[in-house]
Amino acid sequence: MADMKKTALDTLLNVLKTSGADAWEVADEEEKGWEFYFIRHSLDQHRAKDVRTFNVKVYKKFDDCLGSASASIPSDATEEEMRRAVEGLCSDASYVRNPFYTLNKPCQAETKGQAENIDLEAISGDFIRTLASIPETVTEDLNSYEIYVNKITRHFLNSEGIDVTTVHPSSMVEAVINARKDGHEIELYRMLKAGTCDREQLTRELKETLTYGRDRLITVPTPALDKPDVVFATDPSVELYRFFASKLYASMVYRGMSDWKIGDMVAPENLTMCSVRSLPNSSRNVAYDEEGAPIRDLTLIDHGKAVSYMGGRQFSQYLGMESSFIPSNIEVIGGTESEADLRTGDFLEVVEFSDFQVDSITGDIAGEIRLAYLHQGGKVTPVCGGSVSGSFPELLKTMRFSKESRQYNTMLIPSVTRLQGVTVTGVDNA
Amino acid sequence: MKAPFSSYLNGIAPGLKELIALLRGRYDYVSVLSTDSVGFTVAISQRSKSVSRETIATERGTVVRVYKNGLYAESAFTGFDPANAKETFESITRELDAQLRLMNAAGVKAYETGILPDEPRTIFTEMETGRLPEEESISSMVDKLSAVSDQGMKAGADQGLKLIDFQVRACSTHVCKMFLTEHQDLRQSYTFSEGMTYALVAGEERTDFAYTSLSGRKGPELFDHVEDKIPEVLRIAKDLVSAERIVPGEYDVITAPEVTGLIAHEAFGHGVEMDMFVKGRALGADYIGKRVGSDMVTMHEGALCVEDVTSYAFDDEGTPAGDVTEIDRGILRSGICDALSALRLGVQPTGNGKRESFSHKVYTRMTNTMFDSGTSTLDEMIASIEKGYLLEGMQSGMEDPKHWGIQCILDRGYEIINGKLTGKVVSPLVMTGYVPDLLGSVSMVSTDRESFGSGACGKGHKEWVKVADGGPYLKAKVRLG
Repeated sequence: MADMKKTALDTLLNVLKTSGADAWEVADEEEKGWEFYFIRHSLDQHRAKDVRTFNVKVYKKFDDCLGSASASIPSDATEEEMRRAVEGLCSDASYVRNPFYTLNKPCQAETKGQAENIDLEAISGDFIRTLASIPETVTEDLNSYEIYVNKITRHFLNSEGIDVTTVHPSSMVEAVINARKDGHEIELYRMLKAGTCDREQLTRELKETLTYGRDRLITVPTPALDKPDVVFATDPSVELYRFFASKLYASMVYRGMSDWKIGDMVAPENLTMCSVRSLPNSSRNVAYDEEGAPIRDLTLIDHGKAVSYMGGRQFSQYLGMESSFIPSNIEVIGGTESEADLRTGDFLEVVEFSDFQVDSITGDIAGEIRLAYLHQGGKVTPVCGGSVSGSFPELLKTMRFSKESRQYNTMLIPSVTRLQGVTVTGVDNA
Repeated sequence: MKAPFSSYLNGIAPGLKELIALLRGRYDYVSVLSTDSVGFTVAISQRSKSVSRETIATERGTVVRVYKNGLYAESAFTGFDPANAKETFESITRELDAQLRLMNAAGVKAYETGILPDEPRTIFTEMETGRLPEEESISSMVDKLSAVSDQGMKAGADQGLKLIDFQVRACSTHVCKMFLTEHQDLRQSYTFSEGMTYALVAGEERTDFAYTSLSGRKGPELFDHVEDKIPEVLRIAKDLVSAERIVPGEYDVITAPEVTGLIAHEAFGHGVEMDMFVKGRALGADYIGKRVGSDMVTMHEGALCVEDVTSYAFDDEGTPAGDVTEIDRGILRSGICDALSALRLGVQPTGNGKRESFSHKVYTRMTNTMFDSGTSTLDEMIASIEKGYLLEGMQSGMEDPKHWGIQCILDRGYEIINGKLTGKVVSPLVMTGYVPDLLGSVSMVSTDRESFGSGACGKGHKEWVKVADGGPYLKAKVRLG
């Protein structure tokens, strides 16, 4: 089987080398996965996956332009199918002319800490046992859950001589929590991604969700509030910090979707954001990015000032960056206040939204409140309903964040973030 | 012309039938879904151009479903060799057996389910299309979209808009799927296409974006007149740069067809997906036969209820396409159901078992979700509102089937005062509420209706599939923030 796999890739490489393409990239991607679906704690279905594809991109040079076209070629394609597909791409590429740029060249990455043995059976067993042991009660329990355990192997080659392989685990648990009281039942949803099963982390997350489920049942409708401070301390916080990252992508800047410039103050003056090569148990701890560039530690925002863009080869070169890469993990630091400091006075701490969003172009934030804690005059009241909205770029001026951190898979961010003067539409806003 | 069925799938069919026979020696039920779908995406703007021979639905692979001792299992793979079905058989059984050993060692019990029926059935469908994506001239498509991008920039400048970019995107897919069991042989081939025009515009204080979309169960001919979308997207861009923030509150509103579709999708699309009934996750299960909206609310769901991007002949479990009346004059009549959930609930499947791709699990999913038309004109509806908004443009939505909360993030609201549009625009908008309250407040419905199939739908926050939704203009009362 191994020989057959090598033959298919060799065949494709030969086709590319004789195709007339001026440059090319191939990613031989293989995903082996085990999946388990539970209703309550009974097994609904189990699945195995073994999927392989060749993602190919070919380039044609024209004076000061570069044409390109891409396709996913089935791993069982015949040589004739491969040849036809690549010929088609060469033709397509000649019509798609962008300003010239060069492909990445071989460069050794730091590979320390990369995953070695990825045992789908062992990781699956860890997840199954952990989820079976979540401390449920008569009134709060797991409705259903899905376990996905994947081993992802990516062999990347290009015409400049890059030939690198990354192997990493990528797992996910989707869990639905129920809570009930006096005949009324609600649910909360979690999609938790990680490299492998971290029993403590997973248990902590789900226990916290069970507590939120209990509190959701004793909520009152969110009242009309006059531009309160809003505190974020659960996964919607990620969207706030992802906004900073998205604005620094070279593709966003080049295409006019971000007007952030290097040297500009773009964030609170104590905020520092870095791309980091790895985070504990992240599902994206890989040594090379999708285009074969080494992933490294890089400061993107230094004490509020934008200091570097990031992203793929094409748009990074357009912005004059020669050694960029597509980051996998992000860390945000610099908070000087404690979680407790940020939870003083009157504020609304929203822990559950239907779907909290931060628009990467406008920075508009929006989300329906499913559970929040209203802190007013020393009293704490669980509330639900209504929505949070506003302009994050405007709210940034008053943004405060904690020195303590919390990791959400690929994002290590301040555990508590507080925004001042947020628009909250209460259920009483009639 | 007819979209021809895949010669690759025809070629592997005998090998797959041999695989089914081998697996039937070990399992009580075996089905196979194989896919071979091709297409293209062309995206052209002033700043970058790209061409890919991929879309959200292009794929080639196979998934096998097996059943034994009350439990279903699946194996998804690429690279099937029809001359060596035995090797695939051994690979499948080796992996699934190892999973079962793990389950047994962990003391996990099965959620017992009955066996799927396997009545003899044959379907061979090659649907009509104008052209095929795999035969489309990419050079012509690039030239056309480039011209539209240039025209959009020029027209925007002529109107005094500070356009940063004008993007045009065209995706077209030729879907081929083959579903086989011991007694069934279903093969379908059809095309669908979707596109978008997108204007990035600089306002006084911020950059915003406007878009319009087009979709259909058509080939690349869908884009023959994409330039017709330019005036609309520029009108939206102009409205957005002059928009103000809304004063939060409850308002009488008229929802444009794309917003109506979003409500349909979030309110009683996800809310009546019956795999959620199996898990006790949907309040809708307790409301069959009960009132959930006003008399003016009638809603259909199904691949056959309108022709758009998901109007297929059979779903990913081999169930023929359907048209379900979910709500009839305000009364909830039925949900939609995949085949396994139907077995568990003792109902008939409705043709709504869909996968994100061959390598993903089946869930109950929407196809086309549509409100029925009514008897009012849009002018009559506007004239009936003392203070409120005409809501246009959808960004995203989220449902809570257990609690019937709904969240819709919308693009624009056009102010109506004393029965007339004032010209004032508010943006963006978060529409929230309780579904029965929202549908119960529907008091006028327009005569015309439209479907929109350019988006994708997730189950929770994953499993993205193509869907379409829409309807007429609705007058209702909602909370806006």
